[in-house]
Amino acid sequence: METHELALYFDENLFISDMKARNKEESLQELSELIASQRYIRNPGLILDMLHQRETLGSTGIGKGVAIPHGRTVAASDVVIAFGKSEKGIDYNSIDNKPAQLFFMVIAPFHDEKNIYLPILGSLVTFLNQKKNRERISQVTSFDEFISIIRGE
Amino acid sequence: MSKNELEKLVSLQDLDLMIGEAKEVEKLGFNMNGYDELIKAREKLAQDIPKPLLARYERLRAKLKRAVVPVKDDICLGCFLRQPTSRGSRGREESLIFTCESCGRILYWLD
Repeated sequence: METHELALYFDENLFISDMKARNKEESLQELSELIASQRYIRNPGLILDMLHQRETLGSTGIGKGVAIPHGRTVAASDVVIAFGKSEKGIDYNSIDNKPAQLFFMVIAPFHDEKNIYLPILGSLVTFLNQKKNRERISQVTSFDEFISIIRGE
Repeated sequence: MSKNELEKLVSLQDLDLMIGEAKEVEKLGFNMNGYDELIKAREKLAQDIPKPLLARYERLRAKLKRAVVPVKDDICLGCFLRQPTSRGSRGREESLIFTCESCGRILYWLD
């Protein structure tokens, strides 16, 4: 998947420029509740439970200030990515032990017929491995600015 | 809030999928050092599900790969058979365990 194609899976209503969360648990709750509030999922508790299990497998804090909590579940109807930014940074038990500031929550349905979940994760990792992309994303204050960067504009 | 039986089955299937995909996700650069912990979590969750229901889940999983499937717009997304509308309202509100009359999978209403 080309990086600019990621733009299809973001939504202005799933964008937080200044997260309220102060710790890892609150960050997972804040983003999963946002996804539920937009009716992408019916039961936020099931999504949160799945995300907790995923963190048991290994932290989704991939380092350099980035966290990509993710998973597939029967309880989701579509692939969505919620984005949140924390100015102060949050202790996320990341692999480099540094606070996470950029959060990309990827939720996909169990019946991922187009098989796009893993390519989305791969493209996100590739995109965020580039320092200039992380720096630009960390400066955004609006969804329009954000999505322009994702589109490679 | 404690989960009902249907929610436990959804969580169990989510876990099975996560375990099955762990190697592929690891290749993308994610840390997977808690694999054994996840297997234990799966065992613990399975113990919390009534044995006959767990056995039905395992049979369906072995036969059809997906034991629990979503229903969207009254359509079973396992076999695409339309479900009676009356079942949907009961399935959503009471979280009763319904199975698809066509494919036999356990149904979870998305909307």
